[in-house]
Amino acid sequence: MTSFADDPCARCEEVLQPYLDRELDDAERAEAEYHLSLCSYCRKRYRFEEHLRRLVRQAAVVEMAPELKARLAALRTPLH
Amino acid sequence: MSETTPDTEARRLATEARDRVRFEEDALALADQVYRVARHLVGSRDEAEDLMQEAYARAFRSWRSFRPGTNLRAWLLRILTNLNIDRGRRLQRTPGMEPLEEGDYFLYNRLEESTGDADEERVVERLSQDSVVSALSAVPHDFRDVVVLVDIGDFSYADAAQILDIPIGTVMSRLHRGRRILKQQLAEEAVSPA
Repeated sequence: MTSFADDPCARCEEVLQPYLDRELDDAERAEAEYHLSLCSYCRKRYRFEEHLRRLVRQAAVVEMAPELKARLAALRTPLH
Repeated sequence: MSETTPDTEARRLATEARDRVRFEEDALALADQVYRVARHLVGSRDEAEDLMQEAYARAFRSWRSFRPGTNLRAWLLRILTNLNIDRGRRLQRTPGMEPLEEGDYFLYNRLEESTGDADEERVVERLSQDSVVSALSAVPHDFRDVVVLVDIGDFSYADAAQILDIPIGTVMSRLHRGRRILKQQLAEEAVSPA
């Protein structure tokens, strides 16, 4: 594992995914954000990763058929 | 020892009926979100619909085991992923651990190189929603489950670990590998000659 002090861009690349997943602790997040504020090389790649996440999320938007909704509701325990 | 009178029994039954109705309503209100994840865990819409019905039937039967105040969406997805595993979908072998591209930046770098343009907007335009859907379906199940839960279901690593009943370290390694495979698929599609 590299550190921001040794090789900031390599470290940023390592932590970019957990950063986007909101899984870094406060100190790690602050380091990543500081580096991203200074480095246009990493910032471009960060924006790209953000865009890719959005694409994955948008691609996943599928509507459930109304018939399926009705079938699920019909599985409820009948009221006596 | 407490005594059960017809009155207390009637009150208990009324409370239970009210709790059950509330549970069922809450579970149904989450069905769209659960379906969105289910649809990407399996190969077809029919499979996803079957899985949803089985999962909801089981959830409604075992509603008493849900602890109110905990994450109902995660609880429902745990039932659904367990059913999916029980159905033998895991017969598909996880592919060998062949080496993947180094580094998380490789997709951007590859697209930038092939676009011959350092403008990130242009690089981003090389990817489409269709290509993402097809790349995602090419990610092997074990890895895809985690990618779908975290990237589409917006679950934390800890929630995904609980849903899939695997250690958090396994969630992280599968996520890492699943995303790399996804990117590799996207790179092949976007960069290969038309």
